[in-house]
Amino acid sequence: MNRPRAPRRISHAQRLAAPSEANWRQKTNNPWQGEDVAGVNAENQDHKQHDEETAPRGICQTMCPARELQDREAKRRLHRFEMLPGTEKVQRPKADPLRAVKEYSRPAAGKDSTNPANLRPPAVLLITVCYLIDDIAASPDLHPWTEVYSFVFDRLRGVKQDMIIQRVSGAECVAVLEKTVRFLIYASYRLCGEPLRLYDPCINDTHLQEYLSWLLKLYTKDTEPHPNQEEFQALALLYNLGSPPAMRHVINLPDGLRSSPSVTLAMSINRAFLERNPVRLLRLADRLSFLQACALHRHLAACRRDLLLIYSHGYSSRNSRFPLSKLGQLLSLSTTATSELCQEFGVELLQDAQVVFSKAAFTEAEQRQVTCKLYHSIVSDKQRDLTVKNIVHGCGIEFK
Amino acid sequence: MAHITINQYLQQLVESVENRDGLFCSELLSFKHPHVANPRLQLQSPEEKCQQVLEPPYDEMVAAHLRCTYAVANHDFVEAYKFQTLVVQSFLRAFQSHKEENWALPIMFAVTLDLRIFANNAEQQQMKKGKGHPGEMLEKAAEQLMSCFRVCASDNRAGIEDSKKWGMMFLSNQLFKIYFKINKLHLCKPLIRAIDSSNLKNDYSPAQKVTYKYYVGRKAMFDGDFKPAEEFLSFSFHHCHRSSQKNKRMILIYLLPVKMLLGHMPTPQLLRKYDLLQFADVTKAVSEGNLLLLNESLSKHESFFIRCGIFLILEKLKIITYRNLFKRVYLLLRTHQLPLDAFLVSLRMMKVEDVDVDEVQCILANLIYMGHIKGYISHQHQKLVVSKQNPFPPLSSIC
Repeated sequence: MNRPRAPRRISHAQRLAAPSEANWRQKTNNPWQGEDVAGVNAENQDHKQHDEETAPRGICQTMCPARELQDREAKRRLHRFEMLPGTEKVQRPKADPLRAVKEYSRPAAGKDSTNPANLRPPAVLLITVCYLIDDIAASPDLHPWTEVYSFVFDRLRGVKQDMIIQRVSGAECVAVLEKTVRFLIYASYRLCGEPLRLYDPCINDTHLQEYLSWLLKLYTKDTEPHPNQEEFQALALLYNLGSPPAMRHVINLPDGLRSSPSVTLAMSINRAFLERNPVRLLRLADRLSFLQACALHRHLAACRRDLLLIYSHGYSSRNSRFPLSKLGQLLSLSTTATSELCQEFGVELLQDAQVVFSKAAFTEAEQRQVTCKLYHSIVSDKQRDLTVKNIVHGCGIEFK
Repeated sequence: MAHITINQYLQQLVESVENRDGLFCSELLSFKHPHVANPRLQLQSPEEKCQQVLEPPYDEMVAAHLRCTYAVANHDFVEAYKFQTLVVQSFLRAFQSHKEENWALPIMFAVTLDLRIFANNAEQQQMKKGKGHPGEMLEKAAEQLMSCFRVCASDNRAGIEDSKKWGMMFLSNQLFKIYFKINKLHLCKPLIRAIDSSNLKNDYSPAQKVTYKYYVGRKAMFDGDFKPAEEFLSFSFHHCHRSSQKNKRMILIYLLPVKMLLGHMPTPQLLRKYDLLQFADVTKAVSEGNLLLLNESLSKHESFFIRCGIFLILEKLKIITYRNLFKRVYLLLRTHQLPLDAFLVSLRMMKVEDVDVDEVQCILANLIYMGHIKGYISHQHQKLVVSKQNPFPPLSSIC
């Protein structure tokens, strides 16, 4: 499993694995929840109606409920992205009603999270997500991007909370989840190597898995077609390369979907990964779109390590030499980056740009997270003129 | 028995409870027993009658059981499932009040088994009508079984003979069946842990152990732990009753791929005996190193392999197939310095998609790393140099 363990303090940590998370959510959505099965009319239709009646329906038409806006303004808990321009420096900054977004707040006893005045209906949630992407995440004026990320991450979490409380599903929910997943995948690449206090890959991963499994669940439940389904099935596999549940999920997709170009490519990459064939994997990775490469990115370090590891065994002979340029080509790296990588793993380099592999010399590198950024070219080369806006709204898929 | 009156039936129940005759009582509540076909017992509202004769919560349990027989007679499994849930719930109340005794275990086995079966049937009936979601009812049933499991697992006070812990393996087997069906394998883990840490784990009945090891073996296989998977599944296969051919076949479906990954190929006779000829070409392809045939046979029987959940495992046979193919190249060339081009030619013969010499080197390096080939690659000479002794060690010595 490539899925790192989440820290204990995360509330669903015990149920970290994506499917179990979905399981938990399904229970929330389950119309039978909390009722005595025996006393229930078996007609499913009735439950659905019943469910829709009991689920709270939001009436808040702004991104941030008026109450929270006042409250946070009074307590000076506004984020600087939410302040009325010009008032940032004053003692009590004013809230900008057009820029304030409902923040995530942990459910707690005694807190009424179901008050319709504080909940945003699906349409408003979608507008909120678009605002977060277009005006915050993609803004050229807001710096640093780690702060942009933590703001957007938190507000998206608030959106998710509103959706769960209202038991939202359907087209708007799918759209929100799709954009959120794209954003988090992009962030996992862009923020790779940032200090832990600014970006925690583990937390990002936990949330990304939750959003993904919810999205995949919606795809199977709804009967209407989803134009982006192919893209996300492929992303899910690339992100969870080699993970048995992810593979089982893909293998059980309907034929049409499974044989679509991007899913087929993702499956080939997955196969290369399982066969421990990094040469083929990196070659296939060349054909990925930018966002797909971002999803794959977290496996690239392991893949390159594999290559050096098996070559250290395969070419382990005293007089055997391997040209550095050739190795760089196989690894999809520049010669400079290749020699850095070799040094990290104890692979010996000679003066004349020759590599000497030896199984005894190979050592596991430390702190790979920090240096991963040095080897980003395979992903970054694909970004070209794609903007954050294009990426998260899904306009970058045709760049193959 | 099949034509007794309701009064006689209730009387028998009262006696069985009074005598703590769990086995007899379980028959009276089981759908395996012929009384369920008795029209005199199939009542729509037996509550009052039951209340007159039986103490709570038994009255509720029996009333629900009779209403369940009525529903089954009408082929209404959704209704049957609903009442069977009630049966299990009221049984559990009675069961919990039995302090330091476990005579009611056979009843639990009967009512929980029926619950799972009805949940399954009900779900199929719903799906046919286009209602409900797959797994919904089974998941609900699993929750009921889990509450039984908790009662059994937490029975720490009673002595070994009277312990409710004897019910744990049966329940986990039922739960495994559900979890495998609804594809929630991660839920098996706490059950396995509970059984593993129990001091009774080796003393359950052979039948229960065979089922248990079958599922634990499959779970290990899906997690990629092939050695333990082989152990569990082999146990299951060897201890399965010889008359249960169908079960033996089911075990083999998982045991075969695991054995093959560890280098043991099944004989054609075995495959024929258990009607598993889908594996015949796969076996042939792997032992001959015929990648082309392997790919063909995998796609030919793809739906069967996917349905069984072993497609991904069988794909892993590719590495062994590479090894066998390359061994053939070595045997043909009869030298210890093998040109890489020869391997490239062999892969192209097998129609491996856009393969080149770089990839050949990568595959060879991996085989050397895994211990399938003893030797090294020389990039300067574009040759694989293999050991003079035993360059392709037997598979069983490696995995």
